[in-house]
Amino acid sequence: MTTRRPIACGCVGIGLRLPHVSEIAATRPRLGFLEVHAENYMAETPALDRLLELRRDYPVSLHGVALSLGSAEELDRGHLVRFRALIERIEPMLVSEHLAWSAIGGAYLNDLLPLPYTEESLDLFCRHVDEAQGALGRRLLIENPSAYLRYRYSPIPEPEFMTELARRTGCGILCDVNNIHVSGSNFRFDPMAYLQALPIEAIGEIHLAGHHVAEDVDILIDDHGSRVVEPVWALYAAALRRFGPVPTLIEWDTNLPALEVLLDEAHHAEELAHVHRYVAAA
Amino acid sequence: MCTDMSLLLELQMRLRRAVLGGDTAEIVTAIQGEGLDPAARAGIYRHHAFATLGDALQTTFPVVCRLVDKRFFAYAAHEYLREHPPHSRCLVEYGADFADFLARFPPCRKLPYLADVARFEWALNIANTVRKVTSLQAETLAAIPPGEAAYVAFRLQPSLSYFASPWPIDTIWQANLEDEVPPIDLTTGGASLEIRRAGEAVVWRRLDPGTFAFRTALADGLVLAAAMSAATLRDPAFDLTVALRHVFSEGLAVGFVVSPKQEIPR
Repeated sequence: MTTRRPIACGCVGIGLRLPHVSEIAATRPRLGFLEVHAENYMAETPALDRLLELRRDYPVSLHGVALSLGSAEELDRGHLVRFRALIERIEPMLVSEHLAWSAIGGAYLNDLLPLPYTEESLDLFCRHVDEAQGALGRRLLIENPSAYLRYRYSPIPEPEFMTELARRTGCGILCDVNNIHVSGSNFRFDPMAYLQALPIEAIGEIHLAGHHVAEDVDILIDDHGSRVVEPVWALYAAALRRFGPVPTLIEWDTNLPALEVLLDEAHHAEELAHVHRYVAAA
Repeated sequence: MCTDMSLLLELQMRLRRAVLGGDTAEIVTAIQGEGLDPAARAGIYRHHAFATLGDALQTTFPVVCRLVDKRFFAYAAHEYLREHPPHSRCLVEYGADFADFLARFPPCRKLPYLADVARFEWALNIANTVRKVTSLQAETLAAIPPGEAAYVAFRLQPSLSYFASPWPIDTIWQANLEDEVPPIDLTTGGASLEIRRAGEAVVWRRLDPGTFAFRTALADGLVLAAAMSAATLRDPAFDLTVALRHVFSEGLAVGFVVSPKQEIPR
C-alpha cells in the first residue's frame, strides 16, 4: 500500500471514471490527485461512497459542468446549495467551472455552449462568478472552452475576456491546453499567442485531453476520447515555460481505455513537468 | 448584435431551440460562417446534446433499451428530449416522466408492458440515488394518546417506491439482464412491488395485496386508519398489528405527524 502523497505544485492527476474506480481503490497508483465532475456526485449514490473512500488517499478536484455561469438569467440557487454541500463533504483541493452556459428557461442542455464576448456578457459573467464564489465559499477556476461557433458580434478576444474576468472577480483560470488547440484549429488562430495573452498569476490548473477530427467538416471536436496529440503536448510544454508547474489533469471521458493508458499519459505529463523544472533551474 | 441582457437572453433562447431540434433559422444569422454553414456549426452542439442526454437515459433505462433495441431507443429518446429537456443539472435525475411518455408514444403500442418496465427502472434509479435514513423506532409511538393513533401519518424511507403492474415486470426485467433471454410467460399475472435501498444495494420484492395497499397508502401520506381501510378492502383478513410490526422491523418509517383533519374513507 502506498502512503498518501502531499499535494505538490506541478502534480499530475487523472479524471476519475466509474469503470476505473475499483482498480484505483485496489492498486492505489501514484497520482497527484483525482478530478470528478461535481454533478455526478450530488446524489446519494454508491459512487459517492466510493469517492469518499478514495478521498482518504487522494486529493480531489471538483470540476463543475452545469452551473451555467453564462446564462442570461439568475443562477440556479438549488444547484449552488448542492454544490456547496458536496464541497463540504469532499474538501476538494480545487473547484472549477467553465466559461460557458448550459441552461436557459428551465432547460438544461448538457453542453458547454458559447457566449458572445461583449461588455454586457462580461458584466453578467463576473456577477455570476462573484455570486458563485460567495455561495460556494471557494475561489473558482474558470476554464476556457473549446468552441465550434463564434458569434458575429463578439468584440472581446477570449483571452482578454478571461483576463478581465480573473482581474475583476479574483477567480483563477483553468487553462485547457487542448481546448486552445481545438478552438485555434477551428477558428484559425495561433494557440501560442492565446497562451501568451493569459495572465500568469491567475493560472491554477491545466487540462490535457484528446480530441476527434471531424474530417467531413474540417472541425476538431473536443471529445476527450483519445490520447493527447503531439501539438497539444508541445503547447503544454510552452504553458509550463510560461506559467511554471501547475496541477495538471489528464481528462478522458469517452471511449474509455484501460486505466494503464491514463496513467501512461499522466506519466508523460509528469516527465515534461520535470524537464521544465530542470530547465528553469539551469 | 448583443447590446444588453434581453438580447443575450434572446440569443440563448434561439440557440436552445436549435439545440433541442427546433428551427436553426433564427440562430444562424447570429453565427459567423468562417468556412462552414452556420447551421452545421449549431448542429455540432445539437448532436452532442442529443447523444449525451440519450446516453443518460440509456444508463437509467437499460432494459427498456434492450426491449426495443438501441436504434429505436435512440429515436424514442430523441422525441422525448425535444418535449421534455432536463430541468435538473444532475443527469441521474433525468427521466422521471419517460415512462409516461412511452405510454403515450404510438410506436410503442405493441409492447404494452414497456412503460411499466420504465416505471420499474425509474424506481430502481430513485433507490440508487437516495440513501437510507435513520428509521423510526416503534417505541416513539408510545407517546401518542390512544385516541390519536388512528390519525398518525408516517413518513417513509425516501428510497421507497410502490408500484403495481398487470404484467410480471420484475420477471421481465430480470430475464433481460441475461445474455440469452429465457422465455417469459406473460400470462402469469401482474406484480405488486416494493423497491428500496438496502445499504449499497437496491432490492425489491413482491407484496401480498393487503400489505401492498397498506404500504402504498402510507407512502401516499394517508393516516393509519385510512391505510387500514385500503388494506382491508384488498384483504379482509388484514392484520394491522402484524403489518405495523413489519413496518418497524424493516425500518420503513422515518417520521410521523398526527393529522386529525384527514378524512378517513369508510
